[in-house]
Amino acid sequence: MSLPDFTLIAPQLIVLVTALIIPALYFLTKNDKVVGLVSISGVLLSGAYLAWMIIDGVSGDFLSVYAVDDFSLLLTGLFLTVVFLVLLSSLNTVERDHHHGEYYALLLTATSGMMFVACAQDLIGLFVGLELTSMSSYALVAFRKNDPRAAEAATKYLVIGGLSTAMTLYGFSLLYGMTQSTMFVDIAAAIGSAPTAGLMISMALIIAGLGFKVTTVPFHMWAPDVYEGAVTPISTFLAVGSKKMGFVALFKVFLVGFIAAQATVVTDMQYIFAALAAITMTLGNVVALSQTNIKRMLAYSSIAQAGYLLIVLAVATPYALTGGILHMITHVFMKGGAFIIVAALAYVAVGERIDDYKGLARRAPLVAFSMSIFLFSLAGVPPLAGFVSKFVLFSSGVGEPGAALSGEWVWLIFLAVINSAISLYYYARVVKYMYVDEGETSERIKVPVPFMIAILICLVAVIGIGLFPEPLISLCESAAAALMN
Amino acid sequence: MADMMLSLLLFTPLVGAILALFMAGEKSKYARWVALIFSVIPLAISLVVLTSYDMVAGGTQFLEQYTWIETAFLKMQYILGVDGLSLIMVFLTSILVFLVVLFSWEEKERPNFFFALILGMETGLLGVFMAADYFLFFIFWEVALIPMYFLINIWGGPRRHYAAIKFFIYTHVASLIMLIGIFAMAFGAASILGVSQLNFAFDTISGVGFSSTFQILVFGLLFFGFAVKMPMVPFHTWLPDAHVEAPTAGSVLLAGVMLKMGSYGLIRICLDALPDGAVAWQIPMIIIALVSIIYGALACIAQRDLKKMVAFSSINHMGMVLLGVATLSDVGIAAGAFLMFAHGLITAVLFMVCGITGHNLGTRQIPLLGGLAAKMPNYAAFMMFGFMASLGLPGLVGFVGEFTVLSSFYDWALAEGMVWLIILGLLSLLLTAGYYLWAMQRSIFGPLTDRIDTSKVNDVNIFEGISLAALCGLIALFGIFPALAWDLIFPVASDIAAVLVGVI
Repeated sequence: MSLPDFTLIAPQLIVLVTALIIPALYFLTKNDKVVGLVSISGVLLSGAYLAWMIIDGVSGDFLSVYAVDDFSLLLTGLFLTVVFLVLLSSLNTVERDHHHGEYYALLLTATSGMMFVACAQDLIGLFVGLELTSMSSYALVAFRKNDPRAAEAATKYLVIGGLSTAMTLYGFSLLYGMTQSTMFVDIAAAIGSAPTAGLMISMALIIAGLGFKVTTVPFHMWAPDVYEGAVTPISTFLAVGSKKMGFVALFKVFLVGFIAAQATVVTDMQYIFAALAAITMTLGNVVALSQTNIKRMLAYSSIAQAGYLLIVLAVATPYALTGGILHMITHVFMKGGAFIIVAALAYVAVGERIDDYKGLARRAPLVAFSMSIFLFSLAGVPPLAGFVSKFVLFSSGVGEPGAALSGEWVWLIFLAVINSAISLYYYARVVKYMYVDEGETSERIKVPVPFMIAILICLVAVIGIGLFPEPLISLCESAAAALMN
Repeated sequence: MADMMLSLLLFTPLVGAILALFMAGEKSKYARWVALIFSVIPLAISLVVLTSYDMVAGGTQFLEQYTWIETAFLKMQYILGVDGLSLIMVFLTSILVFLVVLFSWEEKERPNFFFALILGMETGLLGVFMAADYFLFFIFWEVALIPMYFLINIWGGPRRHYAAIKFFIYTHVASLIMLIGIFAMAFGAASILGVSQLNFAFDTISGVGFSSTFQILVFGLLFFGFAVKMPMVPFHTWLPDAHVEAPTAGSVLLAGVMLKMGSYGLIRICLDALPDGAVAWQIPMIIIALVSIIYGALACIAQRDLKKMVAFSSINHMGMVLLGVATLSDVGIAAGAFLMFAHGLITAVLFMVCGITGHNLGTRQIPLLGGLAAKMPNYAAFMMFGFMASLGLPGLVGFVGEFTVLSSFYDWALAEGMVWLIILGLLSLLLTAGYYLWAMQRSIFGPLTDRIDTSKVNDVNIFEGISLAALCGLIALFGIFPALAWDLIFPVASDIAAVLVGVI
C-alpha cells in the first residue's frame, strides 16, 4: 500500500499548522498584531495553494473519506475567504482584549473544521468537522468573558449547540444502522430497500440538528442573541461561515445521500424543506422589519437568507444547487461586508442601534456607499451580486433547464419574491437613515486600514460579481455537477 | 463608431452621473454644468440616431450584440437595438432629461447628488427602451427605480419618506412578479427548443410557439408588472403619493418617461411574445382601461391640489394608452404608442407648471389661487397651453393621440357589436375638458386672489422659461406634423398587429 497523496489536503494542513503555531508564537511575542498577521499569512498561503489546485483541476480522494473535487475546492475557497475577511476585521476589534493567541488559533481550527465538512465523504468525517467548528465557536462567542452579554450568548449557544449535536448524531447513527455504511454513496445505494419509518425518524433528527446550525425556523431562536452578544467579527464568522457549513452538511446528507436514492421518501422530504423554507424566509423578514439594533436586524435577515437557501433542498435539481452555491458565495460578500462595516463603526464608537447610522453619508461617504451597496445587494437589486444569485436560485423553482415545465414550486418562488420585496423595506430604511437624515454630529469618521481593506474587497466582489458573473456561475455549475453526480 | 452608437448613448449619462457625484462640497456648483454637458451629448446622439435611422428598411437597427454571460445553463447577451417605437421613446427620454436639468438649474440642496441621480436614471430609462434581452431589460428596469427613490426621499415634499418607500416597494413587487413571468418564458422556450441552456434574448423567446394556456398565465404575470407601472386602476395607489411628493424634476421624469416603461413593455413584450395571451386578455384589458380613464377623470375633478390633479390625469391618459393598445389593431397600437409620446411631452409641461406654482406661490391648492394671469402672464400662458394640449385641442400633439385611440376603439367596438362603449371614451374627453377648464378658471382667471400674498411673486424664470418654451414648441410641432413620429411607430405596430391577426 502506497502512502496517500498529502498534497491533496495541503490547504487543510497549512491552516492546521498555522493554528498550532499561533499559541506558541503568542507566548513568545505577546504581540496581538504579530499573531494576527501570521494567521492572515497562513490563510493566504492556504488560499494560494487552493487557487492553484482549482486552476490546475486537481481532484482525487484522500483515504476515501476526504474528497477533493470541484465542489469541495470551491467551498473550501469560500470558507477561506470568510476567515480571511474575519481576520482582517479582527485585527483592530480585539486589540484591547487579552488572549489573542487563543482567539486566532480557535478561528483557524474552526476554519479547519469547515474545510473538513466541505470535503467529507462520510458521516463520521462530516460530524467531526461540524464539531471541530462548533467547539471552537462556543469559545469564540465567549471571548469577552467579562461582558455579561457575551457570557449569556455563549451559554445559550453552547446549550443549544449541544442539543443539536446530539440530535444530529442520533440521526446519523440510525442512518448507519439501517444502511450499514457511513459513506454517502453507499447510503444512497442502500436506502431504496431500507424501512421508511426508521428513515423518517432519522431524517427528522438530522433536519432538526442541522436546522439549528443553519437557523431554520423553528430552530433559529439562538441566532439573534448570539450574533448580538458576540464580538462582531465572530458574528460575521457565524453568520456567513458556520451557517454555510451547516448548509454544506445538509446538501451532502440530503442531496447526495437521499435524493440520489430516488426513494419515495425523497418527495416527502422535499415538501418538508419547502415548508421550512417558506416559514423561515417569511419569519426572518417579518421580524427583521421591527428591529432597532443593526446586528439583530442582520441576524434576522440572515435567517431569511437561510430560508432562500432551503429552496435548493426543496427543488433539488443541479440547477437549484448551482443557484444555492452561488447565493452562498455572494452572501459572504454582501452580508460579510455589512457585518464588517458594523464592526468598523463600533470600533470608532458609532453605536449598534440603527438610529446611530443617521447622517453617516456625510461622516464617512465611502463606508456609507459600501453599506448601501451591500444592503441593496442583499435585497436583490440589480446589477449587484445578490441579484445574480437570487436570479439563478429563484428561477430554479420555476423550472429545470431543458425539462418540461411542471410549475410544482412556483408558489414557493412567489413567496420568495414577496419576501424579497418585504426585505427591501428594512434595508432601504438603513440607506435612508444614512443618506437622507441628519445625524447628531457631522464629525468625519476615520476607519482603520484593515477594516477598509476588508470592506473594499467585499465592495469590489459585490459589484464585480454583479457585472461579470460568468466565471463564478460556471464554477458553481461544475461544483453542483460534482456533488449531484 | 456607428456600430457602438447606442452603447455610447447609454453610458454617457452614467459617466456624467459618476463625475457629478464626485463634485462634493465646494465643487458642487459645477455639478449642474456636468449635468448639462452629459445630458446634451445623449440628446445629440439620439438625434443623430433618429435622423440616420433608415425608415425604408425599418426593423431593428444599430444592433449591438455581445455575449455577456454564457455557462452550461445560462446565456445572457448584451443586445441593444432600436426600432421606430424605441427611437421615439429614446428621443423623449433624452429631451426630457435635458430640459429637466435646465429646469432644475437653480437647485441648491446637494446639487451634485441631485444631478447624479437624474443622469443615473437616464441610463436606466434608455436601457429599458433599447435592450433586446430580458435579463438586460430587467436590470435597466430596476436600475431606473433606485435614483427615483432617493429623489423623492431627499428633495420631496412633507410626506416624502412614506411616498418614497411606498413607490419603491410597490413597483419592486410588480417587477419581481414580472420577473417570474420572464423566468417562465425562458424555461418554456428552452423546453420547447429542447436545449438545457436558458437564453434570454427577445429573438429566441418570441415566436417560439408557447402553448395557449402557458401564454395566458404568463401574460397575466407580465401584465401585472406593467399595469402597476403604468399605472392602471386598481394598482395605481402609489402614483398620487409619489407624484405629489416628488420634486418637479422627479415628477416630470416619473410621469413623462417612467410610466411609459409599463406601456412600452406591454407592447414590446406581452403583445409580441405572447399573442395568444393578448387575445385572451383583450376584454379584461379594455375594462381596466375604461375604468382607469373614467376613474382618473373623476378623481381629477375632486382634487384641490393642482399637482395631485395632474397626477390623476396621468392615470386617465395612460388608460387611454392602454385602450388603444388593447384594441390589438395596428392603428390602435400605434395610437397608444403615439399617445405615450404625446403624454410624455405634455405632462412635463404640466408638472413644471405645478412645480413653479408650488415654488413661487408657496401653495398648490387651487381654491387659494385665482387671477394669476394678471400677475404672472408667462406662467399663465404656459399653464393654459399645457392644459389645452392635455385636453386634446386640435393642432396639438395630444389631439392626434386621443383621436386615433378613440377611432381605433370605435372600430373595435363596432366590430364587436358594442358601439355604445364609445360613449365611455367620449365621456372621458368631456370630463377631461371639464376638470382642466375648471381648474384654469379658478387659478389663473378672475380677480387676483387675496387668500395668499402675491405681492412678491415672480413670474417664470429664464431657465424654467426655456424648458417650458422648448416643450411647447415640440407639442405644437408634433401636433401639426404628427407624421414625424407616426411614421416611425406605425411599421412596428403593424408588424405586431400582423402576428395578432394571425391568432384571432
